[in-house]
Amino acid sequence: MRYYKLVVMKEKTQRQKLLNFGISTLSLGIFPLIWFLSQAILFRELTELISRNWLVVVGIIIGSTFIFLLFYGMNFFISLADRDSRESLEAKMFVGPSIFMIGLFLFYPALRTIYLSFQDRYGTSYNGFDNYMWAFSDPEMLVTIRNQIIWLVFVVTFVLIIGLVVGWLSDRLNKGEAFFKSVVFLPMAISAVGASAIFKFIYEYRPPPLTQIGIINGIRVSVDREGYVCANNKIIEGVNRVVGDENCLPPIGWLQQRDMSNLPFVQNLDLDNWFNSIIVNIPINTILLMVIMIWMFTGFAAVVFSAGIKAIPNEIMEAGQIDGASELRVFTSIIIPYIKSTIVVVGTYMVVTVLKAFDIIYVGTRGDLETNLLAVKMLDEFSKYRNIGRSATVAVLIFVCVFPIIWFTIKRERETIS
Amino acid sequence: MKKPLLVSFLLLTLVLGACGGGSLEGEEVTITGALIGVEQDLFRAAFDSFTEETGIIVSYTGSDNFEQEIQIQMESGDTPDFALWPQPGAVVDAAKRGYLIPMADLDIDVDDYKNNYSSYLVGLGEVDGVVYGGAASVNLKSLVWYQPEEFAARGYSVPETWDEMIALADQIVADGMNPFCFGMYSNGASGWLATDWMEDIMLRTGSGTDSYDKWVTNELAFTDPIVKNAATLLSQIMHTENYVVGGTDAIVSTFFGNAQDPMFSKDANGNPGCFMHRQASFITAFWPEGENQFAGSKTTVFPFPVIDASLPKAALGAGDMWGAFNDRDATKAVAEYMLSVGFFDSIAASPDNSRLSAHASYPAANYNSDLYKEFGQIVSDALSANAFRFDASDLMPPEVGAGSFWKEMMNLAVEGPGYVDTALDNIQKSWP
Repeated sequence: MRYYKLVVMKEKTQRQKLLNFGISTLSLGIFPLIWFLSQAILFRELTELISRNWLVVVGIIIGSTFIFLLFYGMNFFISLADRDSRESLEAKMFVGPSIFMIGLFLFYPALRTIYLSFQDRYGTSYNGFDNYMWAFSDPEMLVTIRNQIIWLVFVVTFVLIIGLVVGWLSDRLNKGEAFFKSVVFLPMAISAVGASAIFKFIYEYRPPPLTQIGIINGIRVSVDREGYVCANNKIIEGVNRVVGDENCLPPIGWLQQRDMSNLPFVQNLDLDNWFNSIIVNIPINTILLMVIMIWMFTGFAAVVFSAGIKAIPNEIMEAGQIDGASELRVFTSIIIPYIKSTIVVVGTYMVVTVLKAFDIIYVGTRGDLETNLLAVKMLDEFSKYRNIGRSATVAVLIFVCVFPIIWFTIKRERETIS
Repeated sequence: MKKPLLVSFLLLTLVLGACGGGSLEGEEVTITGALIGVEQDLFRAAFDSFTEETGIIVSYTGSDNFEQEIQIQMESGDTPDFALWPQPGAVVDAAKRGYLIPMADLDIDVDDYKNNYSSYLVGLGEVDGVVYGGAASVNLKSLVWYQPEEFAARGYSVPETWDEMIALADQIVADGMNPFCFGMYSNGASGWLATDWMEDIMLRTGSGTDSYDKWVTNELAFTDPIVKNAATLLSQIMHTENYVVGGTDAIVSTFFGNAQDPMFSKDANGNPGCFMHRQASFITAFWPEGENQFAGSKTTVFPFPVIDASLPKAALGAGDMWGAFNDRDATKAVAEYMLSVGFFDSIAASPDNSRLSAHASYPAANYNSDLYKEFGQIVSDALSANAFRFDASDLMPPEVGAGSFWKEMMNLAVEGPGYVDTALDNIQKSWP
């Protein structure tokens, strides 16, 4: 008797499952699809038939009723399902459109970009792995990849280290902590374009007889040398001290220096020494551009870290101090392990931000003199060199670099939830 | 409450819609392009009389990012009626991809058009013998800016040949000053100034316009002795000690818009930072404040010196070209108007204008200033003599013209005269 009942129930669920499946494909799949297609066809025909002004009116009327009718229709089909499964179907009904929209505007372009990366410059014919061969052999592309790696390593490291130190120190302030933190956080409030423009003025160069308006060159040409008075086009003791005087330091176009060879101390180095040859080849312009990003994001990191440090229970810190741990020991053995997850989050965020870094290069140098990054290179290939295939390839490279980080973040998210 | 509002809204749109039919009256023609600021205002104003006459409303939208935007618009099929590209290469590119309407289909008499705008200019917008591009305006690049007073005060005379220019430069150096201003940094386009120098020299050496045209299509390779000679002459300017104010550092680091500033400032001895600055006609817009009202008097130009006297006097320039995306009647009318002589009148009359008509018989007297009258004369003379040539780097494939050519010129400036061969080799290798 009991056995029989169980079978009936099972049968019923299976039939129901089938019915529910039918209803959900109908309400979440077929119906919206037909509805969308009929809209698309309707408007395609209408554009040919009626004038633009009418089209706007029709668009507003049909478009606004469209969503209402879409949900009304879906709801109608769902109401055919039995009570138990209706709730989950209704939830799906609301999630569905957003998944569809993300698919339309994110997944489809992503797939299309990957497809285009195997196409020629017009995106019309297949050319195998040529674009990828180019990406890893073209000298300019290799410089771009080198820069991207330098940026990833240095910007992320410096933002984390300086952020940690500043966050820790600000936590130890007795007075004015809030003020200090808001000042440090301030660069985040400036757009990257604005920050780059500010720094561009700091690095500004004018040819020698002109007064230097960039602060670095202004200081540089004003440094007295071996008793000789130098100045930035100023009359000192009756003598006009001009920029470009042979006895004084010349100004340097900082963002145009791809190595150190213009700095006086490097000129006396013995270049056969391997260490010196590395020093000579340090790309000054890339470093100066990285400074802008470090300047912008350090405050953000510091504020996040300082919040993390605040959350450390006092008992643990006191226990450490009672056991005689030095400040450094407390920092490395208590604070860092305790806020490890915060460091990982900020680090992940920074890695993604650096991979997408665009504004600083675009405003700063636009990639000239070996300063390019992938995001700007992608745009250059598209608009400057008009090569759709290569542009898509660079986009795919960025995506491939970001992907492990997204995957890692999702995985970590799951672990925290479970 | 809501119903009357909706009804009136519907009525309004009905009225608007009704206006759209029938004659060309009220038809809208859209143009997008890279002209912004003052140039945008002037370009818009050029259609005022046309709109009055025909009732066709022409709306021009300029954008900093025009070249990216038009790519996307072409891909998606959402194009304006016309696009005004800053260089003809892009017109050819769009035409090859099948987006543009041939001029013949716009009811333009191609032979007339060639006569008016010189077959060379028209040829720049041609694909397989079919003309797609409409020549709009040009600027003049074969100019060297100088200050006559400073020349006169020191007894220098305006050089007419390259040798005279070098002799003058040597004399200026001997007098303890620097002859040239030269700065070619330009965000994302650094090096174009050196390619301009190369082009001017190419036009005046070898077999002049012939070897120039072959060079543009790479029939004459970058490694050819003629090109090498041009690069060597350029290197002579760049690398001879004290020729350029600030030396090679300044060449690479100075923003091209600031490059002429030393000419306008005096050093401790009251001498200007430099005496000669080879730059296009549009540079006056970048001069220090207050100086461009003296353009043509205090600071004026002499033509780029002759190198080989047996060649005709050539002029180098650049300019924009438009292409049409459809052949509506209104589009045809606008196309015809843009190719007429009168189109440029209101632009030429403006004191803010910095462009020149590409029409070979455009009366130079129409320009606002003496300087532009001179420019206009040089351009129309060169066009009539078929010796006007377009900026070669704009005509070469973008990998070269906007890529390796610029980049290697920057490297040449940094590395010195010994780098000439390597630079030309690298450019040649990058030719697709």
